[in-house]
Amino acid sequence: MTSEYLVNADDIQIKMAQGAKPGEGGQLPGHKVYPWVAKTRHSTPGVGLISPPPHHDIYSIEDLAQLIHDLKNANPGARIHVKLVSEVGVGTVAAGVSKAHADVVLISGHDGGTGASPLTSLKHAGGPWELGLAETQQTLLLNGLRDRIVVQTDGQLKTGRDVVIAALLGAEEFGFATAPLVVSGCVMMRVCHLDTCPVGIATQNPVLRDRFSGKAEYVVNFFEFIAEEVRELLAELGFRSIEEAVGHAELLDTDRAVSHWKAQGLDLAPLFYVPELPEGAVRHRIVEQDHGLTKALDNQLIKLAADALGAESPEAARPVRAQVAIRNINRTVGTMLGHEVTKKFGGPGLPEDTIDITFTGSAGQSFGAFVPRGITLRLEGDANDYVGKGLSGGRVIVRPDRGADHLAEYSTIAGNTIGYGATGGEIFLRGRTGERFCVRNSGALVVSEGVGDHGCEYMTGGHAVVLGETGRNFAAGMSGGVAYVIDLNRDHVNVGNLGAVEELDDTDRQWLHDVVRRHHEETGSTVAEKLLAEWDTAVTRFSKIIPSTYKAVLAAKDAAELAGLSEQETTEKMMEAATNG
Amino acid sequence: MADPKGFLTTGREVAKTRPVAERVKDWNEVYVPGSLLPIISKQAGRCMDCGIPFCHNGCPLGNLIPEWNDYAYREDWTAASERLHATNNFPEFTGRLCPAPCESACVLGINQPAVTIKNVEVSIIDKAWDSGDVTPQPPERLSGKTVAVIGSGPAGLAAAQQLTRAGHTVAVYERADRIGGLLRYGIPEFKMEKSHINRRIEQMRLEGTKFRTEVEIGKDIDAAKLRRRYDAVVIAAGATVSRDLPVPGRELNGVHFAMEYLPLANKVQEGDLTVSPIHAGGKHVVVIGGGDTGADCVGTAHRQGAASVTQLEIMPKPGEERNANQPWPTFPMLYKVTSAHEEGGERVYSVSTTHFEGDEDGNVQALHLVEVEFKDGKLEQKPGTERRIPAQLVTLAMGFTGTDQSNGLVQQFGLELDQRGNVARDESYATNVDGVFVAGDAGRGQSLIVWAIAEGRSAARGVDRFLTGTSALPAPIRPTDRSLLV
Repeated sequence: MTSEYLVNADDIQIKMAQGAKPGEGGQLPGHKVYPWVAKTRHSTPGVGLISPPPHHDIYSIEDLAQLIHDLKNANPGARIHVKLVSEVGVGTVAAGVSKAHADVVLISGHDGGTGASPLTSLKHAGGPWELGLAETQQTLLLNGLRDRIVVQTDGQLKTGRDVVIAALLGAEEFGFATAPLVVSGCVMMRVCHLDTCPVGIATQNPVLRDRFSGKAEYVVNFFEFIAEEVRELLAELGFRSIEEAVGHAELLDTDRAVSHWKAQGLDLAPLFYVPELPEGAVRHRIVEQDHGLTKALDNQLIKLAADALGAESPEAARPVRAQVAIRNINRTVGTMLGHEVTKKFGGPGLPEDTIDITFTGSAGQSFGAFVPRGITLRLEGDANDYVGKGLSGGRVIVRPDRGADHLAEYSTIAGNTIGYGATGGEIFLRGRTGERFCVRNSGALVVSEGVGDHGCEYMTGGHAVVLGETGRNFAAGMSGGVAYVIDLNRDHVNVGNLGAVEELDDTDRQWLHDVVRRHHEETGSTVAEKLLAEWDTAVTRFSKIIPSTYKAVLAAKDAAELAGLSEQETTEKMMEAATNG
Repeated sequence: MADPKGFLTTGREVAKTRPVAERVKDWNEVYVPGSLLPIISKQAGRCMDCGIPFCHNGCPLGNLIPEWNDYAYREDWTAASERLHATNNFPEFTGRLCPAPCESACVLGINQPAVTIKNVEVSIIDKAWDSGDVTPQPPERLSGKTVAVIGSGPAGLAAAQQLTRAGHTVAVYERADRIGGLLRYGIPEFKMEKSHINRRIEQMRLEGTKFRTEVEIGKDIDAAKLRRRYDAVVIAAGATVSRDLPVPGRELNGVHFAMEYLPLANKVQEGDLTVSPIHAGGKHVVVIGGGDTGADCVGTAHRQGAASVTQLEIMPKPGEERNANQPWPTFPMLYKVTSAHEEGGERVYSVSTTHFEGDEDGNVQALHLVEVEFKDGKLEQKPGTERRIPAQLVTLAMGFTGTDQSNGLVQQFGLELDQRGNVARDESYATNVDGVFVAGDAGRGQSLIVWAIAEGRSAARGVDRFLTGTSALPAPIRPTDRSLLV
């Protein structure tokens, strides 16, 4: 996810799970990663992309609140959604989500899901949206959290009746997917994962996409029918709008369902319970969430960077240099500034180091999240979790306070999940970092002097350089990118990627020397200094970890470029290399 | 699905036909023998094994098409044959004669030529016969119940085979001299060689089914008496009354129903006659009716050496592509070039016959027709478009109107008919007479061979339940089911 994507979004959804296959994640097989797919996902053509079930930056509701805050900073104009799965206890989670300042919470039911979902999950996992929605509405009302968050539901809504039932149970927004897909030509082939969709919907293959015969008008027509039915039902119920109907679960009745033998003995009354509300209480959203952006340090940074931000073009932007004190209550520093840069100058941002700000003190979480090119954030002190999360081309440098007298290489300079999901840019860290270092990195260069467990997990691109110890489970699920590790303990490498451990060649050595030198320059690292002093022996201590498919693809790319092939031919060669392993 | 991308890499290829000049000189099937085998596995690999296989719906038998396509792709012919026979008693008939509504419903057919399902089917069954995989399956024990089946067309045979295998003792009554009904005497040899029927009848005989030819229930045996003699009766007598054309000159010599003309040609093939009494040789032949029976007349006339063959159709010429009002997956009305049409002849659309003209001996000499067009939903003649075409032989192939009531079958049983002149039945194919069931065209009205077999199978379940109180036999369709229309 880049700053550019986030800035251009109206709604940003954090998908905590999927209704049809809760807790499963997904996988895009290599042969479906066409060049244009790879481009949008900032990965390598032909190399598979794993979407693991957990979010490696979310291990608690507080972490989720942090991500909501990060995304809101990355685009203050967008609504932040949190997608939850309908299941027992979802109401409590939804209450937490509302407290965590999400703008929208989505309760997703089990009936949905594309043909790519495993049949076992489609049929046997998840719960109906009705249960989760009722629980969510009741919990939010009881806790006084309903008026500040929009409740959305989805999971095989197909008719106006579904919409009205969902409204009465507490939803004010409704997600449709399967029905409009069928309207536009889907025949439920259940081959979405095979890239063979014969009607050209679930595929990026141009031959198949030509076979798509759907029209926007069909979908418009479908929704007109839905709207018409909703109107009729609302009129019958005596409501003038959906808003009025939201949360009036007392109007629902189950007589017909209960007379069915399967439903006999079910007491559905708890679903229709409406908590006792004080007079004038509302059952739907009426106020905005308070995201606390006005208190952000970035408002000050944006003012400081006015010279650069006010420029006509990136080239005309005048350099900005500033020094700012920072405390750990300053979360997500630099992100709103990055938003302004991307909004003004687009994805490529500004020339390197145009805005160069030095902070002193302890940074809060998500320092430098989603920062685009042209912004350099130097921190003298230490940082919390998520440094450089989603870094989009900017530079982040963290070194100990100049007055500190501890041995930095034995201390932790930044917390967990550094460079998570970064797509470009550089992070230099003078000291150790926590767990999940460089997880899902797809383009940034990150240097650290020691990392915790699960380093480089699910990495798909970019470079990681570790000048110290690594924790266990290194490079698990890593499908792309290169990691250089000093004194690598092979027992700490995930068995699945042991085959990816290699010796360095001359090009690698040269490149690595350059990076270590720059690490020394940027952070004054004594570790780097020592390595450089006796480089010829030091370089032999490094191992290189490069996934085999990724390596084959890169080799094919180099060969094709050397042969002077066109861009299209090159990517074809890359795809070919990927499929042949 | 062994080859998920088969449909992207392989184009549709159908069975090769023999050159016209060669095939009109004989009566053998029009296809090059063995031409399918080398291509059929790849063709079967075009099947996409759809999550929702619409072909299942297109076929009233509910044939498990993706499953046997997969086996055919992997060349596991024994397993393919087993899956094929799971839903279809006579794939060698349907594989040759069915107009393949499954292919109309094939998902690939939305935007590409459909999978050659019918070719795959016939390849599997031919292979199965050749390798001896088709063996008699006599019941392990007999129920002690007896069933009479009236009529030996596909519906009657399917019902008989299902009931025999369920342990009942079944006798099939046929008024003609050979078993097979329309399969035997309606379908020309060049569409299906009759040895295929003989082979299947032999299997049924070995399973225990009894066959009684040249016995017409109602005439030779009183229907009520038959009912007393058997525990149950299945009427599968077809809808054999041909639609007539009551215009002046209809009584002239040389104006015949297709169902008078075609059986005689078939009798020549069986060796009963040396020359058909109704022969097209040297004559200008006019076939009235643009359907499959008409095409059978065209092909037969070619082989008899007609001077010319003209086929008339009252409706306008259908399109070669689907109409918007016949969208996938319905079975569309399309302009079809059958093998008989490849062999020559003229097809004239939007015309209606006004009268036949005869010579002084009462033989037909010419046919007068007029062009027609739809006006306000009604066919109207266009003034000034009358014309005369020479005709020494005219065959009427305009469809069938219902059950034959001339032999007393309906009256003797006391059967109730529905508004269309078919025998009325309930959900279990039972008529108003206790223990008397009806299957096939006799109950449904004229239809396709797959519907006949599906009816026979479904009625067998009704009979089995009637006789034993329960049934493990499948019922692929209900009596009221119709093919998908919009």
